Amino acid sequence: MSLEIANIEKIYKIVSTQTVINALNGVNITLPTGKTLGIVGESGCGKSTLARLVTGLEVPNKGIITWNGLPVNNVNKGSFSTKKSVVQLVFQDPYSSLNPRQRIGDAISEIITVHKLVAKNLIESRTSELLALVGLADDLKNRYPHQLSGGQRQRVSIARAIAAEPNLLVLDEPVSALDVSVRAEVMNLLIDLREKLNLTYIFISHDLAMIRYISDVVAVMYLGKIVEFGSWEQVINNPKHPYTQALIHAMPDHTVIGNPESLAKTLEGEVPDPVNLPTGCAFHLRCIKATPACAFSTQTLIEISPQHLVACTEVSV
Amino acid sequence: MNNEPLLSVFDLGIATVQDPRTLVNSVSFHINSGEAVGVVGESGSGKTLSALTILGLLPRGVEVISGEIIFGGKNLLNLNSEELRQIRGNEIAMIYQDPMTALNPVMKLGKQLLEVIASHDGINTNSENQVRDLLSEVGIPDVNRAMESYAHEFSGGMRQRIMIAMALLLSPKLLIADEPTTALDVTIQQQILALVSDARKKRNMSMLWITHDLGVVANLVNRLNVMYAGRIVESGSVEEIFRKPKHPYTAGLLSSLPTSTGTNRERLTSISGVPEKPWLVGNSCGFAARCSRAQSRCHNEIPQLVSKEENSVACFFPLGSK
Amino acid sequence: MRNKEEKVKGALHYYLQSTSGVVGAVLVLLMVIVAFCSIFGITPYDPVEQHVENILQGPSTHFWFGTDEFGRDVFSRTLEGMRRSLTVSISAVTFAATLGVSFGILAGYVGKWFDQLVTRISDVFFAFPAILLALAIVASLGNDWHDTALAIGVVYTPIFIRVARGPVLTVKEMDYIKISRVLGFSSIRILRKHIFPNVFAPIVVQVALSLSWAILTESGLSFLGLGTQPPTPSLGLMVSEAQPLAAFAWWTLVFPSLFITIVVVGLNLVGDGLRDALDPARRSS
Repeated sequence: MSLEIANIEKIYKIVSTQTVINALNGVNITLPTGKTLGIVGESGCGKSTLARLVTGLEVPNKGIITWNGLPVNNVNKGSFSTKKSVVQLVFQDPYSSLNPRQRIGDAISEIITVHKLVAKNLIESRTSELLALVGLADDLKNRYPHQLSGGQRQRVSIARAIAAEPNLLVLDEPVSALDVSVRAEVMNLLIDLREKLNLTYIFISHDLAMIRYISDVVAVMYLGKIVEFGSWEQVINNPKHPYTQALIHAMPDHTVIGNPESLAKTLEGEVPDPVNLPTGCAFHLRCIKATPACAFSTQTLIEISPQHLVACTEVSV
Repeated sequence: MNNEPLLSVFDLGIATVQDPRTLVNSVSFHINSGEAVGVVGESGSGKTLSALTILGLLPRGVEVISGEIIFGGKNLLNLNSEELRQIRGNEIAMIYQDPMTALNPVMKLGKQLLEVIASHDGINTNSENQVRDLLSEVGIPDVNRAMESYAHEFSGGMRQRIMIAMALLLSPKLLIADEPTTALDVTIQQQILALVSDARKKRNMSMLWITHDLGVVANLVNRLNVMYAGRIVESGSVEEIFRKPKHPYTAGLLSSLPTSTGTNRERLTSISGVPEKPWLVGNSCGFAARCSRAQSRCHNEIPQLVSKEENSVACFFPLGSK
Repeated sequence: MRNKEEKVKGALHYYLQSTSGVVGAVLVLLMVIVAFCSIFGITPYDPVEQHVENILQGPSTHFWFGTDEFGRDVFSRTLEGMRRSLTVSISAVTFAATLGVSFGILAGYVGKWFDQLVTRISDVFFAFPAILLALAIVASLGNDWHDTALAIGVVYTPIFIRVARGPVLTVKEMDYIKISRVLGFSSIRILRKHIFPNVFAPIVVQVALSLSWAILTESGLSFLGLGTQPPTPSLGLMVSEAQPLAAFAWWTLVFPSLFITIVVVGLNLVGDGLRDALDPARRSS
């Protein structure tokens, strides 16, 4: 069983200003069950767009996303092939992720009630079970979101997503908005749940350290394309694409101390603009290894070592 | 060279005016000439308020209830608004997380920057060149066009550079930075950190850098103050604190952070609970409720900042002892 | 998990903690009792009966609020006037709220051309000052109380459209709405359980405010000679008729004005109380 993302393209058109945003420009991923894919990139790389497409909130302009051969649901058309949704979602913002007028217990059990996943008299105990799974006290059932901390709210969002019994969980920056000392707890919870429930994760973040901690495979995105793909060890310990290398170098690292040189050798240039795509390789304008040819040839992912793919012709194997 | 610190904060206390709640409690630190000092803490730690007080920028409803801030031989807390105005921008400058709050959206850039000079030293024939040179130094391409542009025409990273240029315009002795790179992409953040670091060294300017990101301060500052629930819990050189943290909170924080290098993936150890609110901490250590080393003394007495070798720590049972 | 009955009790509990809410509720309740007295005919005198021998008498034990220039009991007329004011305003606001909220929520949620259409139409209505619009409608329809109610209702529909639509636009973008769609909830469920509960607080407050404005509008229309016609009393009509008499017969002006004030202030205070009671985040628990 696996998730197949095949040749996805997504374009947004803003009618009033006639601008076209090229959010995704050809993305291919195969993700087997039980594995965690970490997607890392900066603003405009398309990672959040990909999250919306996989969960069915939006539909790609080209290409198709399937789970086990069946297309993922198009949420707008309300066409759900099974009662249990295949893909569920956890967002970044713990404040807007929960309905402020809905009690925690109701928020978690609503999906169970609507899709009748459990017999009516068992709903209450199932809710308690889910709360316990995410490490929350049972008496939180009757509280409102504003009575919970940010970390607790994210756990509730996770419990709600699991209540739908999904195969795949898309997590879009799930800990970025939480206090630093609270993040580790939620990350460890995600890891424990993954094992207990045999979940498949797509974990999206700009924080390379979090990506490294939780992922089995990592995809580095830049301007709507994957520029490097491989296991976490390959991509992070042995990065081949110049952008990946620059990204890793730029990540603040608290294990490197008192070395002012680490601030030097920065990546020049601005965050890329998905409205004005450069010709050829999307990264060539900022790339230290760029040759004149890079302005003309669009890069495709090439396997440079087993399971390690890089979209760059200047890479030495 | 003068051995007096450039800025000294003694026993600073800040609380809300109505229904008084302590937000910052007996905070003391100093910054020497040409030195970079970091303040690290999470939400509610009091790090931002402590910095805002230096320039008299506390929000409404919040006031200083104790302490002194000595700068240039004067207590900043006793100055009137005109005296403070002369110091702001001129001797002490500040940069923020959101550059849009520092930039006037309806005034051309060149004019805004010249206005900064005009309001302090007064414009002279060299002022415009001063502005252009600075814009070039912070990495604004096409300075001539930039002078005629408006704030919204620039990207987030560019606006940060402009805000830095604005802060450096009058060659202040101290730059206070309140999370200026938190909202930026990682590669842009690195550009800004490099820029600030270079500018600072070039001018031998002191800097107070406030952040929640330990990775950012690791290579940016010489000394560090760790704040928790309105107090400084550990203070000293960055190397000592990161390699041999003495306060359980600092140690807990460091071991809860995932690393981006190395071959192992060790399970992160988390600190249970949530960051404590300063006004709910009574006569006890603010961290006691979450501390695995806490004993009865920790719940009944407030630990003071005590010097141990290079560093100071506010803990009755610090790590590395006993 | 709790049911509707407990939720209402909960809201009531918070409402009672608001001083303005309680005071307002008391005032409004008083005026409602006053109106009911008139409905059940419990007035000292017939409001239109003329006591020719008692013209323009000040307040006394016979005539608590005195008499007007036709010898009619001002107290009885005030009670009947309050009844009319409340009947008209409640009918008008019921009409406006039902129509306005439905269209407003739908327009906000559905968006696109439907939203454009509804907004443009309501903008046209907004362009007219309320009283002029009401005047125009009443002039063309007639003077019965239901014509007046309809006129005021039509005039106040756009404000309900706006009050309902605005919050829907904000709430629609919240993450929990997106997640509801990913969870597979139908639009009906999302509107009912996730959108409406988060937008109805301002609507309820608007109802209270609109009731008070409607009473003022009705009074204004009667004052101008449209709306209720003599000899039927309406608070606004009484104020109008009292104009030439006020200098020497203050009771003909003061009492109807006072009752208008009490009910309008009361409704506004009720609006405040409702606003506090209905927002879970304002409660300190």
